[in-house]
Amino acid sequence: MSELATVTSQGRIGTLVINRPEARNALSIELLRALHERMDELLGRGDLSVVVLTGAGKAFCAGMDLKAVVGSPDSRAAFELLHLLAELCIKIRSLPMVVLGKVNGAAIGGGCGLACVCDVSITHADSKMGFPEVDLGVCPAVVAPWLVRRVGAGRARQILLMGGLMSGQQAFEAGMVNRVVPGVGDLDAAADEMAARLATGGPEALRATKNLLNAIDGSLDHEQGRRGAELSAKVLSLPEARTMLEAKLGKS
Amino acid sequence: MLRTDSIGDVAVIRLDRPEKRNALTVAMLGSLRQAFDNAMSARAIVLSGVGDVFCSGFDLTACRDDETVLGKLLEGLASVCVTMREHPSPVVVSAHGAAVAGGCAMVAAADLAVTSAGAKLGYPVVRLGFSPAVSAPMLTVTAGNGNARGRLLDPGLVDGVEAARIGLVHECAADAAACEARAIELATLLAGKPRHAMAFTKRWLNEVDGSVDAERLRAGLGASMALVGSAEQRELLPQAWAGRSGR
Repeated sequence: MSELATVTSQGRIGTLVINRPEARNALSIELLRALHERMDELLGRGDLSVVVLTGAGKAFCAGMDLKAVVGSPDSRAAFELLHLLAELCIKIRSLPMVVLGKVNGAAIGGGCGLACVCDVSITHADSKMGFPEVDLGVCPAVVAPWLVRRVGAGRARQILLMGGLMSGQQAFEAGMVNRVVPGVGDLDAAADEMAARLATGGPEALRATKNLLNAIDGSLDHEQGRRGAELSAKVLSLPEARTMLEAKLGKS
Repeated sequence: MLRTDSIGDVAVIRLDRPEKRNALTVAMLGSLRQAFDNAMSARAIVLSGVGDVFCSGFDLTACRDDETVLGKLLEGLASVCVTMREHPSPVVVSAHGAAVAGGCAMVAAADLAVTSAGAKLGYPVVRLGFSPAVSAPMLTVTAGNGNARGRLLDPGLVDGVEAARIGLVHECAADAAACEARAIELATLLAGKPRHAMAFTKRWLNEVDGSVDAERLRAGLGASMALVGSAEQRELLPQAWAGRSGR
């Protein structure tokens, strides 16, 4: 098992950890592939009815790891990275278990997208969440449909066009997460309690309900995911984004 | 009846007919669309109104002598709303004081909207035998299906605080002056963001949320047009120029 993403379980509750803390769990091609492998394994786990998705270390997920693709004249590398994220999002929705996002810290860009894809989610008031893509010349096309599904189109438009970051408390008020606790120290107990409560649901009833919601909100639209990845890769290849990202990545 | 100013990279388009609470005529709607087309180089656009209110809806006095005016107003409004969505730069509406019927439709078409606490927003036009369905394709997207249904079927008006709560607008300022100032402030922030990223993101959101879906837009306009000249409308419309506030 790749150490970049790990699964443990206890009773009916599994935990999937994004495990690249030295890079604030930024989504590289390798990490995304590891997450896909863990998801494929979870698909067959009939013993589980809840999966908790969280990040190792202080961050939940700092977003796409663009170092490898920025400056590359070949936009296919960027497309591959973004398409892996788009397909991972659909895989999370395809899991028969309820996925609980435990947003333990920064959830930014693609990382915030993952938080929005989770069926239900919890964070603490001081976490940092949001979509600063436009501020960097990037188009958040892969995550946009997930934010629209979660908070509605009117608010999603405001959040994505305004860019920037918000606190966990603000994210809760915007409808991006289902629950917020005061501090990071309160998160483990609250997430455990939430997972335990979710696990009291009948697995078949949960599965049927999740499937219906997926059908209603178009969650399993692979074509939309592919087109989002294409658009985002295209905008990444424009001089506007390349100049801004090279300046940012060079500094960091 | 329309005024355009520039503040840096922001174009500020104001309805300028304060003595009629910025009521919309066919000519104004045509100029409004033209003003958006003329502002292609602006990095963000504010749509506001001179005076105490943003817009009180259609000027129905012209319908008195010419029944074809109403259809032209509906088509003009639908066209302005699509123009707002399809403009490559973000559009911020300052809905201070009042945004009624056609005025409220433009709020629903905005990328971002600010109102003022004492403002009145909504669609009382069913009282005149009109259908506000022309606004439905965008209002359902902006405020969600449940809230859109509430606003389009209930002829009552809501205040600015309630409009923000239901997502018809994004922010509610203390008063009319603060409202336009905040709209300009937001537009200035948006204008400073990378042009291509903003344009592609806006266009993708339009596609994802279906707000410029041609079939939905046609159905919305068609439902409003179908009632033009109906017996009910002929009976109720004279209330508009009898001075009763129906718009």
